[in-house]
Amino acid sequence: MTAFQDFSKGLFKENPIFVILLGLCPALAVSNQVVNALGMGAGVIFVLLGSNIFVSLLKNFIPEKVRIPSYIVIIASFVTIVDLVLQAYLPTLSDSLGVFVKLIVVNCAILGRAEAFANRNNIGRSILDALGMGIGFTLGLVLIALVREVFGAGTITIFPMGSFDGVIRIPGLVDAPVMVLALAAGALLVMGYLKAFFNWLEMRRKGVRA
Amino acid sequence: MKLGIAGIALRLAVIAAAAALALGAVNSVTAPVIKERKARELQEALSSLVESGTIGDKQVVEQHPVVQGFYPVSDEKGEPHAYILDLLSIGYGGEMKLLAAFSPNGRVESVVLMENEETPGLGKKAENPEYMEKYIGTGVDTPVPFRKDDLSREEADAVTGATITFRGIGTALSEGSEYVKEQLP
Repeated sequence: MTAFQDFSKGLFKENPIFVILLGLCPALAVSNQVVNALGMGAGVIFVLLGSNIFVSLLKNFIPEKVRIPSYIVIIASFVTIVDLVLQAYLPTLSDSLGVFVKLIVVNCAILGRAEAFANRNNIGRSILDALGMGIGFTLGLVLIALVREVFGAGTITIFPMGSFDGVIRIPGLVDAPVMVLALAAGALLVMGYLKAFFNWLEMRRKGVRA
Repeated sequence: MKLGIAGIALRLAVIAAAAALALGAVNSVTAPVIKERKARELQEALSSLVESGTIGDKQVVEQHPVVQGFYPVSDEKGEPHAYILDLLSIGYGGEMKLLAAFSPNGRVESVVLMENEETPGLGKKAENPEYMEKYIGTGVDTPVPFRKDDLSREEADAVTGATITFRGIGTALSEGSEYVKEQLP
């Protein structure tokens, strides 16, 4: 496998959300606004990068029998760092992500990469894997959030810049949004339809008539 | 290489100790920044609650389930013309802290939701100033709303999906209003 494949597999072929179906709880929970999805994605990329680097570096030091507790200690440390830094320097994002930052610890996508990739590959490949998987996770999350926010609230919330308050309002939808999509049930619906869509694409690619 | 149970425990301890050290270092940098930000946010919230007057020091209230303390607000003559209550309530995601200004007769003047763990996009909406409008002016002639039946249709629709947050805030404000009426001069 080439270096590029280490990176790119996480984007589409092994996308953590739509193909491996890992880390769904936070994905469903924070995908109500695009800005939350981006913040969560950035947090996951950072934690994944940190945990993959350290798991890869320490793979000969960590005893086989306690590898899962060791990974959790490493992951939890990076999550706590993200949480503290957000609280100190990006309080608005920290407030809107709330408890989900702390829940990155139990995001299976991260533990999964430590167990399935970083503990048997060198540091360079582990970094590429973390970047690919992290960006893939973020793309998936932003896609779900975009659908949910555009149809569920009629807005797209990104970062405020200058006179722009960070909220793009879509005429027509903002007054009469499909509210169910903004609620928890909507997250599952959107996720299900997107998963079906990606499955359909994959089948077409393989030449199967669906 | 085969490790005994002591060796395994030692290695796990080394990893945990290194992690603790790293976190201690990060915490020593961020803790003062967080503390300063919280103090600044508290001051901003307090001064946003009352239009005029001097906000006095916090008086701690013990052994009250909801009212944690209050800040007397006095006008130029030194007479109390409002109280800001520090209220603790239970929402969907755990504890919610509220700051609410009451006039001395127990009328809700203004409310802000402080620290909370409510669901982003649902209960978190209570952080918006517009959310609190339905409570303002209640407490004397009309009771503080804390059931959906107390609300107009539009207001009830707006709290859909976050009924527990709404009920928590309403109950806390209602308790606060009673406290002002009964306990404060």
